[in-house]
Amino acid sequence: MSQKVRYISEDHLITRQNRAEKAFLAAFKAEQPTFAAPKVVVNPYLINPLCALVMFTTPTAVAPTLTVHGKRYERENLTHTFKAATEHFLPVLGLYEDFANTVTVSLPGGETTTLTIRTGTLPEGVCRCLNVQASLDYLGDDIMFLTPAGKNLPVAYDYKGDIRWMLTENTMFDIKRMKNGNIVTGSSRFCHMPYNSTGMIEINLLGKIYKEFRMPGNYHHDHFEMEDGNLLALTQDFFRETVEDMCVLIDRNTGEILKTWDYRKVLPMDVGGSGSQDAHDWFHNNAVWYDKKTHSLTLSGRHQDAVINIDYETGDLNWVIGDPEGWPQEMVDKYFFKPVGDLSKFDWQYEQHACVICPNGDVMCFDNGQYRAKSKEKYIENRNNFSRGVRYRIDTEKMEIEQVWQYGKERGQEFFSPYICNVEYYDEGHYMIHSGGIGREDGYAAKALGPFLDAEAPNVELRSITVEEKDGVVLYQLETEGNFYRAEKLPLYHGGDNLVLGDGQLLGSLEVTEEFDTVPETEEVFALPPSFHNLLIEEDEDRFVFHGRFEKGTLAMLCLENEKESHHYFLNTSATWHLAMCSGAFLEKDERDLKIHVSKLGLNGVFKLKLIINDKKYQTGVTICCS
Amino acid sequence: MITEVNEKEYEALDHSVPMLIEFYSKTCGPCKMLAFVLKDIAKQKPDFPIYIIDFDENRELKERLGVKGFPTMLFFKDGKEVSRLEGLKQKPAIIKAIEAIA
Repeated sequence: MSQKVRYISEDHLITRQNRAEKAFLAAFKAEQPTFAAPKVVVNPYLINPLCALVMFTTPTAVAPTLTVHGKRYERENLTHTFKAATEHFLPVLGLYEDFANTVTVSLPGGETTTLTIRTGTLPEGVCRCLNVQASLDYLGDDIMFLTPAGKNLPVAYDYKGDIRWMLTENTMFDIKRMKNGNIVTGSSRFCHMPYNSTGMIEINLLGKIYKEFRMPGNYHHDHFEMEDGNLLALTQDFFRETVEDMCVLIDRNTGEILKTWDYRKVLPMDVGGSGSQDAHDWFHNNAVWYDKKTHSLTLSGRHQDAVINIDYETGDLNWVIGDPEGWPQEMVDKYFFKPVGDLSKFDWQYEQHACVICPNGDVMCFDNGQYRAKSKEKYIENRNNFSRGVRYRIDTEKMEIEQVWQYGKERGQEFFSPYICNVEYYDEGHYMIHSGGIGREDGYAAKALGPFLDAEAPNVELRSITVEEKDGVVLYQLETEGNFYRAEKLPLYHGGDNLVLGDGQLLGSLEVTEEFDTVPETEEVFALPPSFHNLLIEEDEDRFVFHGRFEKGTLAMLCLENEKESHHYFLNTSATWHLAMCSGAFLEKDERDLKIHVSKLGLNGVFKLKLIINDKKYQTGVTICCS
Repeated sequence: MITEVNEKEYEALDHSVPMLIEFYSKTCGPCKMLAFVLKDIAKQKPDFPIYIIDFDENRELKERLGVKGFPTMLFFKDGKEVSRLEGLKQKPAIIKAIEAIA
C-alpha cells in the first residue's frame, strides 16, 4: 500500500508581497533608473498579471502622465497624471492580455518615453465575455469588475469585453472602492465551509494588500465603509449552532472589533422561512447597508425572504420588508408593510440579495425570487420563475410599501439567478442590475445552484448578465461565462494614491479553533496513512489547512502533539448538504474530500501532526510551528 | 452504563427513570466519535442509564420518536422527552442535559 503526505509551507501573501516590494525598491535604489530608461516590473505584487510598475527618478519634482494605449485607437487610451515627485512609482493598470502593450510616460515639459510591456496569456479557467453591448460614450474610463462565485477568478471587462484587470487569487464576495480609492474585498484564505474566509483585504488595483482584517467569526458576503472609514462586515460566532446572523464594526486602523449586532436578539429563528432555510442557517445575512439619515442598518436575510432594518445604537428592529405569510401576527402588525399603489405590478422579494438605501430612503435589492412563495405548495419552479432588480418606496409612519421600479421580470427564466447578484443605484432612474448566478440545464433554468452544476457537461451553461438601465433604456449589457457574485463599475485609476509603498499588515485575529476533549482509543502506528486519503497540509503564518479524503463514516481526528501537551480536532466525514452556496470557491468535486482550518491562536510550541483514522493513529511526518 | 437496545427492548425499559437514548448509525463518523464521548460520560456517571439504538435497524421507533438523523440524543424523564441534541456534541453539553433530568 502506498503512502504519501503532501506538505506546503508558504508565507502569507502579505509577507511575500512585502518581500517583493523590498526587492524592487532595492533594485531601484541601486540602479537609479532615469526617465529615458525607466525600470519596469510586470505584476509587481504577484497576483495581477495585467499590471506593471514603471519606476524612474527625475532631477526635480514633476508630475508625470502615464498613458496605457488602447488596442484599437487613441480614444481607448487610459491616461492618468500622478503627483509631482522626484522618485516615481507609477502603477500601469489595464494592460491587455497576451499583447505587446504600448505605454507612454510624459513629463510636463513635453518629454516622452514609450515602453512596450508584453503580457502573457491568462489562466485557462478565466471566464470570458460572451456578449457585450456598450459604448465608450457610456462607459468612459469605467470597467466592470465581477467577483467570483466559484473557483473562477475576479476579473474586470472593458467596453469591448476585453479583460483589463484580474487577480490570480480567488478573492471572494463583495468588492467596494473605499473613499481613499482602495478596494476592500474578501480574503481568499479558506477558514470554514461552505465559504468563510479569514476576513477582508484592503488592496490597490495592482493587487498589493495593504491590510488583511482577520475576524474570529470570519467574513462572508458583504461589508460597508462607514463615514469615519471603519468597516461593517458580516460574520458569525462559530461557537454556537447558527451561522450568518451577526454583523460587526471593525476599526480600519487596528482591525479590532468595536461593536457587534446579533440578529438572534431581534428576530425569531423559526418563522417566515424561505425554501432554503434550515435551523443552522436560519437568516442567511447576505448584505448590509448603513443609512446616516436614519442611523440604522439595513440587512438582507435570504432565508427569511426579509430585508430588515435595525437601530444602529440599540440593534432594535425598526421594520421588515417581505411577504408576511408565516410570521407571528404581532410582528406583522408592528414591523411589516402593507402594499399600496398599483398592486397588479407589485411583487414581494424572495431570497433577495444586496439591499441598498437610495438617497430618498427608497429600498432597492436584487430579488432573486427563488421559490417565490412562503409555503411549499406554492413554490414556483425555476424555469417558470424570474429574477429582477426592484425598488420599493416605504412609508414608515403608515407602514405602507409601493413598488416604484423593477427590471427583470419581463425576461423570465433567461435572467433567473437563484442565488448571489446585486443592484446599484447611480442616480434617479439610473441603475445596475447584475444577475450573476444564472445556471441552465438543457436550455432551462436549472434546479440546482451554479456551484452544484457540472459546468463541463454539454447541456449545462453557467452565465452572468450585468445590465445598466437609464430612464428605462438599457445602455449596457455584459454576458460572461461562469457565475459572479457581484458587479461593480469602477475606473482603474482614482484621484487618491494609486500606490502607497510600505509593508502590508495582518490585523485582527482568527478564532481559537474548537478542540475535541474526548480522544478515541487507538493504536499508534509509525507509518503514514494510506495514499487513498490524499493528504495535503498547507501551513501559513497564522494557521494550517488540512485536506484529506475519507469514506463517509470514517472516524477521523487531527492531533497536535509534543512532549508537554496535545490538541485534538474532530474531522466530520459525514455527507453535508448545503442549502446555500454563494461561493463555491472551497467546494470539492469529490464529496469524500474534506478540509479543516486550524488557527494557531492559543497554541504555543512545535507540534507533531498525527491523524487518527478509525482505530489507528498515523504519523504525517509534518511538524507545525506555533509561536 | 451503556446498553444497546432494539425497538422491542426499548419498549420493555422502565421509562419512569431518567435516561439518555442515542440513535446512531454504523456508517457515521460523528456517531463513532460520540460512542467514545458517551463511554467517558458513563465512567463519570456510572448509574445513569444510556441506551443506544441503531437508526437503520429501528426505523419505526425512530419515526415514532421523530428522529430525523444521526447521531441524535433524546433525554427522557418520567417517560417524556425533555430535550434532544442533534449531531456530535462534547461532554459538557451532554452532561448539562443529563443533569437537567437526573
